[in-house]
Amino acid sequence: MNYLLNGPVILLARLILGGVFILASLDKISNPEAFAAAIGNYHVLPFGLENLLALILPWLEFITGIFIIAGIMVDGAAIMIIIMNMIFIIAISQALARGISIECGCFSVSSAAEGDKIGIITVIRDIGYLILGFLIFYRQKHKFEFFPKPV
Amino acid sequence: MNIRIPIVQAILLVVISLLIGLGSNIISSKPIPWFAEELAVVDMVEIKSDEPILAAISLKQAKVFFDEEVLFVDARDESYYEAGHIKGAMKNIFLYELIFKIEEKQNKDTPLVVYCGDPGCGDSEQLAYDFKDMGFTKLYVFKGGWLEWSKAGYPSEVGK
Repeated sequence: MNYLLNGPVILLARLILGGVFILASLDKISNPEAFAAAIGNYHVLPFGLENLLALILPWLEFITGIFIIAGIMVDGAAIMIIIMNMIFIIAISQALARGISIECGCFSVSSAAEGDKIGIITVIRDIGYLILGFLIFYRQKHKFEFFPKPV
Repeated sequence: MNIRIPIVQAILLVVISLLIGLGSNIISSKPIPWFAEELAVVDMVEIKSDEPILAAISLKQAKVFFDEEVLFVDARDESYYEAGHIKGAMKNIFLYELIFKIEEKQNKDTPLVVYCGDPGCGDSEQLAYDFKDMGFTKLYVFKGGWLEWSKAGYPSEVGK
C-alpha cells in the first residue's frame, strides 16, 4: 500500500486524471447548450438548472485538471475529483437502473458523437478515476507541488 | 481561511469555476440563459395564423388539436412510448429520421404538438427547440404530457 501512495504512482495518477478532466472539459466549454441538453437527459436535475450546471461544471473539470497536473492545491483538486466522479457514478447508475438509454455527454457533446452511450463500462471507468482520486488525496509524499508549499 | 485545509481549497476551486463559467458566458458570442426559461402557456390558439410560434399549450387545447388531427410527437424514450402514448403520436427516433418521417406527412409550416411524460420533464421543450432549429414554424409543447392525457382518459394506444 505504501508503494502506491509514494512518488511515481501518484505522479502518474495526477497526469492521467488531469489529462482526462481537461480533455473532457474542452468540448463542453465550447458547447454549453449541447451539454445542458445532455444533462437534461439524465433526469436528475429540476428543469431550469441544467444551464447553470452546464456553464460551471466544464470549467470546474478544466481547472481541476490543470491544478492537479501543475501541483496547485492538489488536496482540493483531489477532493473535487472524488466528488465529481461520485456524482457521475450516481447519475449514470440511476439512468441505467431506470433503463433509459442516453448519450454519456462525458467527453463529447457534439451531435456527431452518436454511440457514446452510457453503460456499465462507463461506471467502471469512473470508479477507476475515483480510486485514483483517493490515492492522490492520501498520498504520503508531496513531490512537484508548488502551492501551497508542502511542509 | 487556511489555504492548507483541503476543503477550503475545494471550495476555492468551485468559486473560481463559477466566476469563470458565468463570466465567460456573459462575454460569449452565443450566451445561454443561466436558467432555462419555461415556455408561456397559450390558450385558444388561432391555428390558421401564419405567424411562427413556439408555445406551451394546456390539456384542453391539446385535445382540440387532437380532434383537428394535428400531428403529435412523443419526445420520451422508446420504452415509455411503447408502454403507452397518445393515439397516433410519432415515436422519438433519431432526429433527422424523425424529421424525414414528419415531412412525408406534412410540411414545416403545419402545426406540430410535442409532449413528454409530465409537466416536469424537459424533453418536449428540447425537441421543440431542435425542430425550431430545423426550420419548423408552428410548434406547440403540451406541458401536461402523457400524465395529464392518460389521466383524462383521452384516446391512447400501446406498442410500437
